This record gives sequence, structure tokens and C-alpha cells, in this order.
Amino acid sequence: MLQTSKYHATETDLASEQAVVEAAKKNPERFAALYDKYYEQIFRFIYQRVDDKEQAFDATQQTFMKAISNLPKYEFRGVPFASWLYRIASSEVNNLFRAQKAQRTVNIESVSVYHIIEEIQESKIDEYHDKIVDIISELPEDELQLIEMRFFEKRAFKEIAEILDITENNAKVKTYRILDKLKKMIK
Amino acid sequence: MKRKVNINRPKLSADEINQHKNFDSVLKNSPGMGARPLLKKPWFLSGMVVVTAAIITTVLVLNKKEQQPVVAESVQTSDADSLALAAFYKAEEAKPCIAPPINGLDIPYTSFKVNAEKGAALDFKTGSKLNVPKDAFVDENGKPVKGDVELRYREFHDAADFFVSGIPMTYDSAGVRYQFESAGMMEMLAYKDGKPVNMAPGKTINVELASAYKGTEYNLYKLDTLKNNWSCLGKDKVESKYNKEIEGNGGSDPGDKKDIVKLEQTPEYKMVGLKKEEVKVEKDKQIAALPKPAPEPKKPNRVNKDKYTFNLDLDLTDFPEFAVYKNVQWELGAENEAMSNALWAELNKMVWEDATLKEGNKKGESYFLSLKKGPKQVNNLVVYPVFEGKNYEAAMKDFSAKFEKYTAALDKRKVSEKKIEEEYEAKIAALKKKQEELEAKWKKEMDQQVASMATQDKVMRIFRISSFGVYNCDNPSAYPHGVSCNATLTDERNSKLMCYEVYLVDRHKNGLFTFEKNPVTTFSFDPNSTNMLWTVENGVLYYLKPEQFDALKGGTQNVAMSRVEQQFKTVDEMKAFFNL
Repeated sequence: MLQTSKYHATETDLASEQAVVEAAKKNPERFAALYDKYYEQIFRFIYQRVDDKEQAFDATQQTFMKAISNLPKYEFRGVPFASWLYRIASSEVNNLFRAQKAQRTVNIESVSVYHIIEEIQESKIDEYHDKIVDIISELPEDELQLIEMRFFEKRAFKEIAEILDITENNAKVKTYRILDKLKKMIK
Repeated sequence: MKRKVNINRPKLSADEINQHKNFDSVLKNSPGMGARPLLKKPWFLSGMVVVTAAIITTVLVLNKKEQQPVVAESVQTSDADSLALAAFYKAEEAKPCIAPPINGLDIPYTSFKVNAEKGAALDFKTGSKLNVPKDAFVDENGKPVKGDVELRYREFHDAADFFVSGIPMTYDSAGVRYQFESAGMMEMLAYKDGKPVNMAPGKTINVELASAYKGTEYNLYKLDTLKNNWSCLGKDKVESKYNKEIEGNGGSDPGDKKDIVKLEQTPEYKMVGLKKEEVKVEKDKQIAALPKPAPEPKKPNRVNKDKYTFNLDLDLTDFPEFAVYKNVQWELGAENEAMSNALWAELNKMVWEDATLKEGNKKGESYFLSLKKGPKQVNNLVVYPVFEGKNYEAAMKDFSAKFEKYTAALDKRKVSEKKIEEEYEAKIAALKKKQEELEAKWKKEMDQQVASMATQDKVMRIFRISSFGVYNCDNPSAYPHGVSCNATLTDERNSKLMCYEVYLVDRHKNGLFTFEKNPVTTFSFDPNSTNMLWTVENGVLYYLKPEQFDALKGGTQNVAMSRVEQQFKTVDEMKAFFNL
């Protein structure tokens, strides 16, 4: 499966990014570089989960505001800074849903559904498309997140693991269990 | 739970997304970022080397703000912007503790001259009273002041008063910020020959501040203009003005309060109303008594060859109008719808034995003719008298004479009627004037009565002061909860407003909630209350229209404020504008 996430970074990239983070801790204006780098990614992450574009922009701003406020508490763990931002964004989106200010939405591209169908080794692509969509829309939130990240946002398991703060192996196992569940449910 | 699903929703382009980037806003709105003054932040201090040059640049930028394209306002942060903001905040923070925000608008002082050796008891229009003891003033060296001292006094009772005065209404208690809900505030200063004087040690001025707020939850605070905070002095004493009057002057019981009587119910007003009716009846009687002119004579008609016309040998003695006519002929009216040529021929052939005439529906014009022969009868044929030849000329002559007489009589009557009408109008005008006088008198009495009732509803908040300054009977109140906004305030042309504070007026509370650090700021309000939002840029007032406030939702947003074009000369003009 093609992975399109801009998440991955070399060790040099990580070190360079960490230097910017440390500078931003001393001078919040230096955070501008991180804001520029991650703004689009974070927005797309949020917009993937909500229906309203303006709410997504608002939540993106809130995410970065919280990031700046909490920057002194941030600790480098050898993973891209983005994973920390995604966790704040995820929390921000959940806050919107809890406060009933936004509607949880599943945004699916048909091609992603076909990838899922391929993954579960089914051949009746057209027949199962709508069924898969129906089932996904009703999955528990933790399962939906994995499917979203893996198939709709095309993230690597390593990245998913870092965002969800689980191990890479755990991310893989959970994802394949969900696929297995889908396979049984469509029949 | 089944969620909403969008299949193949159009993707947003990177450009579209990045257009919403606003790091400046993120930085300013990040919790904790606004807590420390900008000037004290280390990153700011490190950049002080370039401050001077940048300030010059940014002042120019600010001065040219109105000519700048709107887009340029919100693109991205620059050092110049940050430094301009820093300079702006520095200037705002350097302002005196009491700084009226609107150019040329303040609560005016009332000045009194008090003889220092004698003291004085002063009464104010508001109902408040001051009791200044003798020898109450000392100069800057502590020496007693002799002769006349000028006392300057003013009161503040509502949000508009608090706002225009620029007196801070926030109260910091052990690091927690509250907003005052006030039961009344006053400021008193004293001068001798234009120089400020102090109160003599051990002397106090008794203040009775008239207030509409009776509660005992209020404390007395004095404004410390050096610390820019209020000092709590304890409780004031609340005394009903009415009770005080009973004790002092043997005033009447509040139960004696007169009810407000409608003007229409007053005997004087009723009498004038009756008089107007009488005058009208009299006028109608006079007009009715005028001689009635004879009915308008009808112009005689010529014989029309195209119509059925006939002669009759009739005795017309019962019809005096025909007395002067000879050879009257009769024309069948168009009303006889059943008449046909055949019937007409039949009627003409017949020699009738009897014919009777009576007045028709058109008085003086038409007649009913009935014909009889044996058992045969024709009843109520509508006929009109017509004339031919010399008979017509004679008839016309008679008509002209009668018509002239009729016109003369009519003109005479019109003159008489006009005279009666004019006399009537004059009487009515006099009665209307009387009514207006009664209305004015009634309004004056009612205003006095309402004012008297309002005064009776007031209380006196009594306290003693031993130094001059601003005193406030207040209750610290938490900032409103409900809806929280991160607002970038703009004018109606979408240009960011450079303002230091926004002011929230919650009509359910007698206070003024102040939120600092604009143009991007966080403020909250109670959506169940009636709210107003004001801010000031360069001494010019901006406000949020009520319908805009009603539509305000929480979260990050641009809020377009409307500029108040009216130049308020007094706070009452401002209150009228905002219907306060």
C-alpha cells in the first residue's frame, strides 16, 4: 500500500527538529518554523475526522496554541515532534465531540475501500464497497482510528504506533484483527 | 453508533489550507503567553537593540493602517509587528490609573466652595449628602488650611459612568482577578488656590451616597492609584432614605405614595372634554336652525322626438310646480322596460276614461301615471314632463328666475354656516389650549411624583472618609461563564483594531467587565444575559451591535465592531445611544 504521510524522518532530521523545539521553548516565536512545517498535516488530520471545514481550522489553531503553552513540558522521545502534535490534535477533536460542537465524520475515498477489500483478500470489490463503508462507520472509535490512519491517511504502522503511543507490533496486530472482523462481517 | 460518512469529499489544496495560517494569532492566544508583559519576556529583551528603529517603522505602519490592503493585515507576523505591539502595550501600560478612554468624554465634577474653618453640609441633586467638619484640611506640609477650599465631587452609578471615567473596575485579591459589581462610586478631591490639599489627621467627612442598591453584600473600597488596585476598607452602612426622613423630618408613610393618575381621569381634563362635546352640539343646533333654502329647481327638458311622448288632459292643480306652464307634454321614461312599439300603439289607440298622476322616485323630475278604462288598467308608468316651442321658453324663463332665487338663498346660508363654523373652531382651539396646559401641568406633577418615588426607593450608603480619592461600594464578582471567545477585533472594513481592552456590559450586573490585551483577546459572557461589547481605538468608541452579539458563538473568530460616529458630549448622550 502506498504510504503518503510526510511523517518519517531521518535521525539528522529528528535532531535538527529537536533543536528548533528547544529554541522555541526559550522563545515561542521560534515555534513559527514548526507551525509552518506541520500546519497542513495537522489540519488534514483534524479535517479527516470532522465535517465542517471552519471547525477544523479552529481546532488546528487551538492545537498549536496548546502546543505552545505546553511546550516546556515536551520531552523528546526519539520520534518526530509531529506525533506529539497529533496527540494534541486528537484530544482537541475529541473535546469537540464531547462538547457536541462538532459531528464525528468518517471521510472515505473509494479507492481506500478497495485497498481494504484487497487486504482482506476478497474479490467482489463492487459488491462489498457499500457494506465496508457501513461497517466502518459503526466501528468503535479506537478501531476506526486505526483503519483511518492506516488506510485513509496511509500512515506506516510505526507512525500510527507513535501517534497512539503504542508499540508498532501492537498497531499491526490490532489493525489485522479489525480487518479480520470486517471480513467476517461482510459475509 | 453510526457516524456521518462522506465518500470522496473534495480535497482541499495546500494553498487553501495554508491561507488560514496565522501564527501571530496562535502566539498571542496561547494560554499563558499573555500572562507576562511582553516587555519582560526574555526573547523580547534580547531583541531590544533593534527596538528604536523598529518602533519608528511600525509607528509609520500603524499610521498608514487605513490605507493598507486588508489582506496585508492578516498575512504573517513580522518583527516589526511584534515590536509595534510591544510599543503599543508599553504606552497603554504607562497610562495613569484613571484614564478616560473616550476623547473629550468624562464624568464632570461638581465644585463647591467650603470655608475651611466652618465646614459645610452639602446636598446633591442625586440625593447624596456630604458633611464636612470644620478644620478638615491641611496643605502638603501638614499645615491647617484657612479660608475657602474648592471641593470637587462626582458620582458613578452604572456601566457607562464607570466606562467613560476610566476608573478601573477590576479587583485583584490574592492573585485572583475579580470584577466589581457596584452599588455606587464617588470621587472627592479638594484644592486651595488650585493646589491639592489633604484631610487633616483625625478628621473625617461623612458621606451619604444615594444608591439604588440596597444589599448589604457590598464592601467599601478605596482606589489605590499607585498600586492600580483597590483597598478594602470594610463595610459601609446602609440606611433607607425614607427611614431617615421619618427620623429627621417626620416624613409621611410610604403607603401614602400617590398612585399615578392618568391625565384622562383627572376632573379638569374630563370637564374640558365635555365642554368640547357641548360646543359641537351647539354648533350643530345653530346650523340646523338656519332657514332651509327651497329645493333646487330642475331644468325643464325639451320634447325628444325619438322618445314616446304624449299629451294628457290632466287636472294639475295638485302639482303647483306646473301652475305657470301650459301644454305640458309627457315623455315615457326609460324605466318602463316592458314598453314596446306594439304596446305603445295599443295604448295610444285607447281612449282612457281616467288618468291619475303622482310624484315619482326622482322628486321634482319624474311622475307615476296610471290609466284606466273599464277593467283595463295601466299603473305607474314613469313619465317626465317635457316642453316644446314657446312652452319650453316659458318653462326655461321660470326655471332661471327660480334658480337665481335658489342660489341667492343658498349663498346666504353658506355665509351663515361659515360664521358658525368659525366660532366653533375658535371655541375648540381655546379648549385644546386648555387641554395642553393641563397635560403640561400633569406631566410636571407626574415627573415630580416619579422622581419622589424613585428617591424613596433609594438607600443611603453611609461611610466616613479620612482622605480624598475614589471610593466604591462594591461586591467582587467572578467573570461571566458561558461562552468563551478568542476574538480578533476588526472594524467594519476588516482592519484589525489596535485596542488594549474590551469592555463587556452585562445588563444583569451593575459593573463593567474588562478584558485586556487586544487586538486578539479572550473574553467570556453569559449568553442568557443581555450583553454589550465596547472597545476603543485611539479614543474612538467601537461597539458590537445587539444582533451581532446575539449571533456570537464561542471559539476563535474575527469580530467586526461598528464605529460610533456620534461625538458624545455627555455620558447621558452615550447612555441614550446605547439605551442604557
